Amino acid sequence: MFAPLLDSLVAVLQPQYLVPLAIGTAAGLLGGALPGVTITMTIIIVLPFTFGLDPLAGLAAMIGVYVGGESGGLVTASLLGIPGTPSAVATTFDGFPMARRGEPGRAVWLGTWASFLGGILGAIFLVAATVPLARFALQFGPWEYFSLFVFALSMVAGLTERSLLKGLLSAAIGLVITVIGTDPIMAVPRFTFGSDFLRSGFQFLPVLIGIFAFAQIMSDLERPGARDVAGGLRARPHLRVRHLAVIGEILRRPFLLLWSTLIGLLIGVLPAIGGSAANVMAYDQAKKFSRHPEKFGTGIPEGIIASEAANNANVAGSLVTIMAFGIPGDAVTAVMLGAMIIHGIQPGPLFMVSHPHIAYGIFAAYILAHPVMLVLQWLFTHVYLRVVLVPRAILIPVILVLCVIGAYALNNTMDNVYALLLFGVLGYALVKLGFPLAPLILGVILGDQIEINLVRALMTDADPWKFVTRPISGAMLALAVLSVVLALWQHRRHYARSAPEPAAQEL
Amino acid sequence: MIGRDGLAGLVCLAGALGLLWASREIPHPPLVPIGPAFYPRLLFVATAALGAALVVADLRARRRAPPAPAQYRGVLLTFGLFGLYVGLLPLLGYRLATALFVGALQAALEPPRGRAWLRVAVVAVATSAVTYLVFERYLSVLLPRGRLTGF
Repeated sequence: MFAPLLDSLVAVLQPQYLVPLAIGTAAGLLGGALPGVTITMTIIIVLPFTFGLDPLAGLAAMIGVYVGGESGGLVTASLLGIPGTPSAVATTFDGFPMARRGEPGRAVWLGTWASFLGGILGAIFLVAATVPLARFALQFGPWEYFSLFVFALSMVAGLTERSLLKGLLSAAIGLVITVIGTDPIMAVPRFTFGSDFLRSGFQFLPVLIGIFAFAQIMSDLERPGARDVAGGLRARPHLRVRHLAVIGEILRRPFLLLWSTLIGLLIGVLPAIGGSAANVMAYDQAKKFSRHPEKFGTGIPEGIIASEAANNANVAGSLVTIMAFGIPGDAVTAVMLGAMIIHGIQPGPLFMVSHPHIAYGIFAAYILAHPVMLVLQWLFTHVYLRVVLVPRAILIPVILVLCVIGAYALNNTMDNVYALLLFGVLGYALVKLGFPLAPLILGVILGDQIEINLVRALMTDADPWKFVTRPISGAMLALAVLSVVLALWQHRRHYARSAPEPAAQEL
Repeated sequence: MIGRDGLAGLVCLAGALGLLWASREIPHPPLVPIGPAFYPRLLFVATAALGAALVVADLRARRRAPPAPAQYRGVLLTFGLFGLYVGLLPLLGYRLATALFVGALQAALEPPRGRAWLRVAVVAVATSAVTYLVFERYLSVLLPRGRLTGF
């Protein structure tokens, strides 16, 4: 394991991989720092630039965006009180008070070093866990895969905050999108209504770009002045610190660092939850375990360390899931999965065996992205803060043009651009109706695989009870049911608690 | 009275039932125990059931949260101009359509005055030129040519 990893580390240090990695990391830091531009949006923007690259160079750029984005969010979270990305929300709670107290450098660098250490600890898990998990997944037949995908979908739908029904419907809409076009087993056209446009179905990336990019841009446009952050940046902040002292502050809290990293990893491994949950949950855990929870929110280092270590470790967890099972851990890895498929690489249990060069290259790129992130953060933090002030009237058209290129360049047809517009409208409409987008995207990604494995299983053995009686498959389905029941129970409890309030208001 | 959730549920229910009806047209290849219509039908039944459940849940709901206040001018302008851009791309070609789109959307989102028009024009032309150069020359991505302009 270590020899190929060392070889890959040396390989990724070559300019052909290191330059895309560094550019991706810089783009991630910038996108992460810009409020309203999430990591998903940044990776969508970077995606078309990777089409002409060697697969590993393209993936290195994307991993750079992912790692950089998780760290970029903390700059605006700490200095402006506005989280650049949702995964830096909890960093704001203590980062901003610390910066306002006159310690902006300490706030930024505590977060940056915690990101670095959390990420490197996450790398150990990534390297150690991926191969055993992929070996475990090799035991899977179509029954187990079907049940695993159903479990992933039910869990994501169940995590929907507002309505479990809407979460499940969103997943169902995602699955319905995948049945349009030629069927994946017998190549029979379905629901094309005689249209050539629908005959080949919808490619996954234009759907994802349309849904995420438009939902985000349009929601931002609904709130004029939402990115008016200039007021928060009164003067050039003084960011110089004694780095050894900052590192010492983190290392004097080893349990906090390890526990937050573990939370980030576990949330990353679970499909489609993402860094924002890791960030908030690690903060919450740090507060619960603290001897002085009342000080959280006043600018204490524990709050920054926990939230930033968790969101970078979350990246490693997401990479484990995509490499071992072929399931994206979140929207960012969903785009990476699409890019891998474009390059002819199918992630999953056989990925480590069939593409060891790429697999170990991903490990190496993830590890090296962290020191690159540190250097870029040190050199360019003031630049990011200036770019934050670019008006959105300039940013939005440029982002939309890059979305068009990303969709068009997939196979040089306008059909994908039309799909981009179509799903842009659909994504925005769903957001306005309160439907979550994560289950829909997971449905689009897993739709074909769910159908293929269901049909394969039933063609192998027509007995549907096999899905329940095979131990791993049965356990996955039981977990799927459990996650839905748990979500129902949580929603009912939440409803019961909040029910008396409107009655009181009505009175 | 039915709310927005109920209407969304009705749309899902109607769509799923419509597609279920349309699945009759899918041919069933001989000698294959499970045809290409099997999985979509399962899916449409589940979607229809979820849609119906959403309608019922909406009708039973005792209260509805009012929608958050929002301004839709920018949203409508952006969708409109983007739709126009997508329509013009194959006619005018990437370079011209992109410069026009970037300029128009900037002006629509933040109406320029005086010298700000110059900034709008520079950003529009620079976006079109730089992306064209980077993608066509360095990343080998062929961008759309215009049927009307040949460029």
